[in-house]
Amino acid sequence: MLEPVPNAKNVFYVNLEEDLAEVTSNLGLGLLPDEMEKVKEYFEKEKRKPTDVELQAIDQAWSEHCCYKSSKPVLEETVFGLNSSKKVIAREDAGIMEFDDNHYYAVGLESHNHPSALDPYGGSATGIGGILRDVVCMGAQPIALIDPLFFGDLDTPRDTLAEGVKHPRYLMGGVVAGIRDYGNRVGIPTVAGQVAFHPKYTGNPLVNVGCVGIVEKELMIHSKAGDIGDIYILAGGRTGRDGIHGVTFASRDLDAGADEDIGAVQMGDPITKEPLMHLCLELNKMKLLTGMKDLGGGGLSCVVGELALDGGFGAMVNLEKVHLKVENMPPWEIWVSESQERMMFTVTPENVDKVLARCEAWDVEAVTIGEVISEKRNIVNYKGIEILNLDLEFTTGGPVYKRPYNLPEYDVGKAAPLPEYPSDISNQIIDIISQPEVASKDWVIRQYDHEVRGKTVLKPIQGPIGKDVPGDSSVIKPVDDSWKGLALTSDVNPYLMEANPYHGTMNAVEEVCRNLASVGARIDSLADCLCFGNPRRPDIMGQFRATCEALKDAATAVDVPYVSGNVSLYNETQDGAIPPTPVLMGIGLVKDIRKCVTSDMKNEGTIWLVGKTREEMGASLYYRTLGVSCPKVPVTDFEAFMPRMEQLIQAIENGEVVACHDISTGGLALSIIEMCMSGIGAKIELTSDLRADIELFSETNGRWVVQVKSGCENDFEKRFDFAVKIGDVDDRMIFTKNGKEISSFEIEKLRNDWMSPIWDRLA
Amino acid sequence: MLDPSEIRVGVIRIEGTNCEDESAAAFSSLGCNVEKVHLKQLLGDVEKSNCRNLMDYDALYFPGGFSSGDYIRAGAIFASRVKSGLKSQVDEYINEGRPVLGVCNGFQILVEMGALPGTDSGTTVAPNAVLHTNDSNRFEARHVHLRVESKSQSFFTKNYDTNQVLSVPNAHAEGKLMMDKSQFEELEKNNQIAFRYCDKDGQLNPGYPWNPNGVAHDIAGITNPKGNVLGMMPHPERVFHGWQHTDWTSSGMNPEGPGHGRPLFEGVVDFLCQ
Repeated sequence: MLEPVPNAKNVFYVNLEEDLAEVTSNLGLGLLPDEMEKVKEYFEKEKRKPTDVELQAIDQAWSEHCCYKSSKPVLEETVFGLNSSKKVIAREDAGIMEFDDNHYYAVGLESHNHPSALDPYGGSATGIGGILRDVVCMGAQPIALIDPLFFGDLDTPRDTLAEGVKHPRYLMGGVVAGIRDYGNRVGIPTVAGQVAFHPKYTGNPLVNVGCVGIVEKELMIHSKAGDIGDIYILAGGRTGRDGIHGVTFASRDLDAGADEDIGAVQMGDPITKEPLMHLCLELNKMKLLTGMKDLGGGGLSCVVGELALDGGFGAMVNLEKVHLKVENMPPWEIWVSESQERMMFTVTPENVDKVLARCEAWDVEAVTIGEVISEKRNIVNYKGIEILNLDLEFTTGGPVYKRPYNLPEYDVGKAAPLPEYPSDISNQIIDIISQPEVASKDWVIRQYDHEVRGKTVLKPIQGPIGKDVPGDSSVIKPVDDSWKGLALTSDVNPYLMEANPYHGTMNAVEEVCRNLASVGARIDSLADCLCFGNPRRPDIMGQFRATCEALKDAATAVDVPYVSGNVSLYNETQDGAIPPTPVLMGIGLVKDIRKCVTSDMKNEGTIWLVGKTREEMGASLYYRTLGVSCPKVPVTDFEAFMPRMEQLIQAIENGEVVACHDISTGGLALSIIEMCMSGIGAKIELTSDLRADIELFSETNGRWVVQVKSGCENDFEKRFDFAVKIGDVDDRMIFTKNGKEISSFEIEKLRNDWMSPIWDRLA
Repeated sequence: MLDPSEIRVGVIRIEGTNCEDESAAAFSSLGCNVEKVHLKQLLGDVEKSNCRNLMDYDALYFPGGFSSGDYIRAGAIFASRVKSGLKSQVDEYINEGRPVLGVCNGFQILVEMGALPGTDSGTTVAPNAVLHTNDSNRFEARHVHLRVESKSQSFFTKNYDTNQVLSVPNAHAEGKLMMDKSQFEELEKNNQIAFRYCDKDGQLNPGYPWNPNGVAHDIAGITNPKGNVLGMMPHPERVFHGWQHTDWTSSGMNPEGPGHGRPLFEGVVDFLCQ
């Protein structure tokens, strides 16, 4: 089957006339039988046998991870066609939007799920590394990181774990440590994120990493080569045997044997990355580069061709010039290795020496490895022998599949009968606030440096020092001489998604908007990381389609684009697929950060509910703790919501609001209690016609708890279709119904019950 | 006498130094001429046009970060690279009474260099203290309260009120100053303690998390005997402005006004302008 290529050590011609299945398995390829047939046809037309390097390169390019072969048709019908997409300035490794007259902001969001299941520390760390490079290669200075994380139940008994599955506590500890050690060392603040739990993430955690950057408009650079004759310079970490077949590994299910794929996980090195970022931004500022792109999935095999083709050219590379971690790597490994901390520059020949000198000054290793050619082909030589010569349009073309799908039910259906009214509502409240999914995440947040760079205006933990209150969004002030801010948040509720993918997604988009509005920010863009199970199963493709429909409908209603994101499929283990999980990151603009509002209850001001509460208890935390199954999940009403949100933001800008917090999981009860973690209590009258427990715990959309500045109540009330005063500040946390006290707590007691759950479970 | 614009501040970095931008911004906001300079430029390890002389700077700033990944020991690699090529210059610099500031990783570097707690004649040959792993055994980012020590004679603390209580963010995994008991006594005796951790009312022995790392005597920042070298774990450059304080939306602090870190930098500028 393999025949050595003369004079090229470790390179082989592959005979495609033999059993193709055997070829695929011998070379460790992920290509499907019909894809192998296409490859065979191509080489028949070229009238020669392929080399193993060529087959490996095609395998990388055609992986689900690189070419979106299952998701593309659905994305094209839904989120790609949005009107709001016109606001996107560029959509390359990161998406680019306008910040102000002189600046763009860059957004990247990706998942690093499969590597993190095997190696939580290395997987999450290299996730951070990759997303930073995506932002840097647009010429943007990274200014904030954001990390939505999803794990199995922390209380999973060890003896119920399937073979090879690591315990959620171990995975969470490792993932957080990886983000901490990488993010803190490179000096980019981790300012926002989410930690969610669901039993279906047990064997397949989700690790999403987002990054936002800022760039002066004239310094934005594209991920494409400038001209024929430009020189390729590979800078940064050396190429090694880590991260071989990373994208193929990410494009299939995780099974018990997955530990053997540990070589697919890369090793991160933040201390190589830190000066590399300085170097890239400096070279770009000095206008020494014609193009820049990071090395991620597929390694050199993807970056060289994509840089060339996007510029309308081809590339010729001398592979032996690549600086290596270990000697004697076979050429195919060098070509596809996903070793970290590497960047590719294209540079005009006269600037090569200048660029190499700056690399030297920053102690960053760099080598010239090839040049841009006119023909749209990729040619790779190894010590003078040609070992790869492929048509770029063929390699990057990739197959596309219209996979069959079974759509899930969109309709929310009828509410289940109300459960019996709890005998002790206070116990119920305590039970809710001490669930790990809503309990304080300070165990995580404090391990991340959220203030390095000194630009964080609102931190993830808000309120008086030592009285932590969770913030809805964090705010960054990216430009020195401007009061304008960028607000960041992320959200998706896996239980709502599991119950109803369409409405679960609509909910997630609305919650992102609410979180941003809470601090006084207007949503400007979204990024989406679509994490699903195996697309070859029609039920999974149905979930995917329903989610994309909702993403389109919600973004159309809000009129914002998706600027960045990825699709991560095959998130399955022997125990089944994860819940459909469209991880969303929202970026909002703040006109004047001096007007920002935090969620902590202040000494003065009356307490209001904006937005009406309905009995929408499906998949609510309350019903879940009671074990009540109900299909009627909350729905959204963007037509009513949009003006309400705008009025809230204007009230904040006008100084009428002293504290604001969105209502979501855990309902009104949890929202108020979180605000009161500032040490200031509240006496709240439940004013609706609903039963008290439903009013406390319903997760109806479109609502906020707002503390209104004394004297501003009239102006405030007039703004809204529905706003009602529900209480005043107090020494204790008290709920009343029809004037009668139904529950009352010491704030300190609530604080302990809310603060301890994560600490009790993790070392 | 200098005008602020004539003051040259060198913010020194290597790979992994990551607080240089905000550190430089603190001094440049006060009108100083700040340069971020790579240690290689001071060591003569770059082309001639980019070489710099340590003695040309009026103040030196070792900013925070994870220099060389904090591998071996926090700040150890940075410090040994400085000492291997610049020891006599650094001693001269310190002996002339010029300001040297180290924050967080910078403090760790100054201790590893032997510049802190220091002697009357520059650096000690070997470090005689260490910034050890926090009692919590983890990296923690949290705002703490600091009390400005009344006995501190240094220009770094001169612009604060005696016993003033500050709020400043901390972000480190190794901040617990450890040394011999007698050396702690020396520090007290020589008025070398600049800042101590305290509670919000300025009371000492506040316990965890107000003392975030378990350090003896609540020590957050110290100077050399002369008072011209300051090392501290909390980050004054991160609260230069009011809006950088974590509680500005509830404390009534003016977001446009000065933050609690600003007087420290003003102290240096005032000293150099005298």
